[in-house]
Amino acid sequence: MKMKKNFNGFDFLQNNLVPLMFIIICVICYPLADLSPSYLINEIVNRMGRNIFLILSLLIPIMAGMGLNFGMTLGAMAGQIALIFVTDWQIWGIPGVVLAMLLSIPLSVLLGLMCGKLMNMAKGREMILGYMMNYFVTGLYQGVVLFMMGSIIPIIHASVRLPRGFGVRTTVNLTPMRQCLDNLLAPRPYGVKIPVLNFIIIGLLCLFIIWFRRTKLGQDMRAVGQDMEVARAAGINVDRTRIISIIISTVLAGFGQIIYLQNIGNFATYTAHSQTGMFCIAALLVGGASVERASIGNVFLGVILFHTMFIVAPRAGIAITGDAMIGEYFRVFVSYGVITLALIMYEIKKRRARSQGGALLAQAQKEGGVRA
Amino acid sequence: MHQPATAIALQYWLKKMGYPRLIIGGFLLVLFIMAPLTGSDLTTQFTNVFNRFSWNAVLVLAMVPMIHSGCGLNFGIPLGVLAGLLGGTLAIEMGFTGPMSFVMAIVVSTPFAILFGGGYGALLNKIKGGEMMVATYVGLSSVSFMCIMWLVIPYKHPSIVMAYTGVGLRNMFALDSFYAGVLADFLKIDLNPILGINLVIPTGSILFFALLAFLMWAFLHTKTGTAMTAVGSNPTFAKASGINVDRIRVLSVILSTWLGAVGVLVYQQGFGFVQLYTAPMNMTMPAVAAVLLGGASVNKASISNVVIGTILFQGLVTMTPTVITALIHTDVSEVIRIVVSNGMVVYALTRKTEGAK
Amino acid sequence: MKKKRLLIRLAAVALCVALGAAMMVIGRGHTIYLDNKTLEDYQGQEYKSFERVNITVHGEDEVIKLAKRERDMATCMGQSFHMTVEIIEKKGDQPRVEEIDLKLPYSMDGIIVNLPALLAGLPEEAWMTEFIPAPEPEDSSEEPSIGDEFGMGEDLGMEGDPIA
Repeated sequence: MKMKKNFNGFDFLQNNLVPLMFIIICVICYPLADLSPSYLINEIVNRMGRNIFLILSLLIPIMAGMGLNFGMTLGAMAGQIALIFVTDWQIWGIPGVVLAMLLSIPLSVLLGLMCGKLMNMAKGREMILGYMMNYFVTGLYQGVVLFMMGSIIPIIHASVRLPRGFGVRTTVNLTPMRQCLDNLLAPRPYGVKIPVLNFIIIGLLCLFIIWFRRTKLGQDMRAVGQDMEVARAAGINVDRTRIISIIISTVLAGFGQIIYLQNIGNFATYTAHSQTGMFCIAALLVGGASVERASIGNVFLGVILFHTMFIVAPRAGIAITGDAMIGEYFRVFVSYGVITLALIMYEIKKRRARSQGGALLAQAQKEGGVRA
Repeated sequence: MHQPATAIALQYWLKKMGYPRLIIGGFLLVLFIMAPLTGSDLTTQFTNVFNRFSWNAVLVLAMVPMIHSGCGLNFGIPLGVLAGLLGGTLAIEMGFTGPMSFVMAIVVSTPFAILFGGGYGALLNKIKGGEMMVATYVGLSSVSFMCIMWLVIPYKHPSIVMAYTGVGLRNMFALDSFYAGVLADFLKIDLNPILGINLVIPTGSILFFALLAFLMWAFLHTKTGTAMTAVGSNPTFAKASGINVDRIRVLSVILSTWLGAVGVLVYQQGFGFVQLYTAPMNMTMPAVAAVLLGGASVNKASISNVVIGTILFQGLVTMTPTVITALIHTDVSEVIRIVVSNGMVVYALTRKTEGAK
Repeated sequence: MKKKRLLIRLAAVALCVALGAAMMVIGRGHTIYLDNKTLEDYQGQEYKSFERVNITVHGEDEVIKLAKRERDMATCMGQSFHMTVEIIEKKGDQPRVEEIDLKLPYSMDGIIVNLPALLAGLPEEAWMTEFIPAPEPEDSSEEPSIGDEFGMGEDLGMEGDPIA
């Protein structure tokens, strides 16, 4: 459909600035990094398997006009709490993953409900609120995991509990469920392991999202995302719809974090979630999404580009400067920079649209005035 | 309904204070009462609170101009901090020592602050209404950019560059021979030799803050200052009355950034060390939380908010570790600090803002 | 209409709970320590260790080979453990093959199974004991997770002021 329009080079450039920039960075850095293609492909496929689910959880709030859900970290924390319990109860393998997902649901729903309600109180500032919610809930999470687990909430297994009798160790070991999803049904053509089951789960989620867009609720969400006032006039319960979108996102983020951590095989109890939101949002934006529009295609492209950069940048940094830290800092800078750029472009666009709307309104009023 | 005058006064007070402030204030009071019971020396606690107040107050003051002009909470304060760090490191690099290095640090950081603040302010003018989120990420990305710069800028001074390679700045270095304590030791009141109690008041730092706070207060009462308040409370009205809104906003951002730069230098002279690389990111939350705790909102702040907020927040930060730990033998202070400071911001964000946006 | 919706919701919750319960049963992991050791003085009798035992645990490729007084371990998910045991009782004997199914107690993480007693057909309490790991030294060198994180320490967020 878009192709039929006149191709406008400048618009294309403007809309796809970030992905193009990333392609250029990757193309420059790859030869410098001196990595074998099979290693790179293996890494990227692996990272796709573990990250895409998490990133997909961002799509629904964007649809509902609530911007990038920085509060997805809440879901990640719910997932981690579930994993702590499952490890404590010694439930292994895929049943362990399934049980953790089930356990994370009530927690995610609760946290999502809280986040959604607060976001309704801060309309227009959802993103910064979600961002701050991360840190606020991180405090609560640390309180629960460090002081209440083992003392109030029963945690018995010595490999999970701190020797002092309460609190959870700084690392939770997931060896019994390490890569249980990745390794099942995984063919290895040309030495590249393809985590088929992960991709099947991701595929199902994609189908769910596509289906969800067409349901009544999905349509409502899009209406709310376009214009809250119009949606309210049309009889949609705006607040409720927004809360539901955040809850869905939080629950999916919880699942995503569980999938992500089973791939890694262990996690830092108190900090593993802290960068989840930032990574996922950066990856999504790298794929060409914006604050108000994101598609499944953006997610896939984003993961590939962002993680290629992620793998090659530090090594390229060493090759260029001889200092390992520069590449490291560079990729941090790029991640933050991409988000900054996307946020700025979104706000500028929003403001332009608003002032255009204002001009139209003024025009209409003027005409009305002349008539009167 | 007949109510005695005291009840009405009480209600008025409650409303004026705001619940979070009351809760935290009450909690702090309880902590102070409990402190002697747990065996910790109250005067030492007071000294700690004074000290930390004097380190942080200027950074909190840096929030005020931007809130006044309607730019919201300055989550971009790391930008000012970076200007301060550049000023400090360059002053040392130029070979200044002692109090002179502090003066030079402020002098050198000023053009950077104006430059950064100007660019940042111009950017914020393009995105009115979405300042806070962008500010956060401008802060984060500029800090990570400067991480590269600290390694690349060819500093030479042996006491600040990395010990072995001599290339790139150290993560952290002491200021002993430079500006450590230059303000704090000025007119310092130490009651230990006189009364035998452990109370030290860093008069110089507090006077310095008082000076800046007074200047800020005076500025807010000049013509430009009132224009700034007008821009913050009602931009449409301000525009109608012929105020150049964009210019005033840029001015407020520059002021904020410059105060951030001075603030970090004051912090360093009190703390005695310079922390580079990712450390500036950690300067934001205490400042934002403190001003909110003092009773400021997203678009309203006064000098008294700064003073009260800093005392409350720093009191909480210094008191909880000693008192609570002594009480329950577990260090929950970190958790309390995270929950309070971030909870404060969440609370402020969910408040309805007064005036037009 | 309302009632139907409520029913569907209840059914969904029940399904989740049932699924969770099922996962707890089939996913419970046990570590089984297989001992080829002499059991002394069980009701006045002694059960000698075997010369050699080869064990194939169901679902695992590797064969566990135990000489006299040796121990090895296997893992098992769920409460039924199935293995094929090939026993050489004394030197020069012909190997005897037995299929063994064990029901494992849900509450035990580590289970020690004494093979000579088990194969002699003794009751459960004779050959099964719980494995209680020795208390670990305080500073267990825990490996850090190797995720996507930046290798720059943890203070990337804005978590508070730099000194505590």
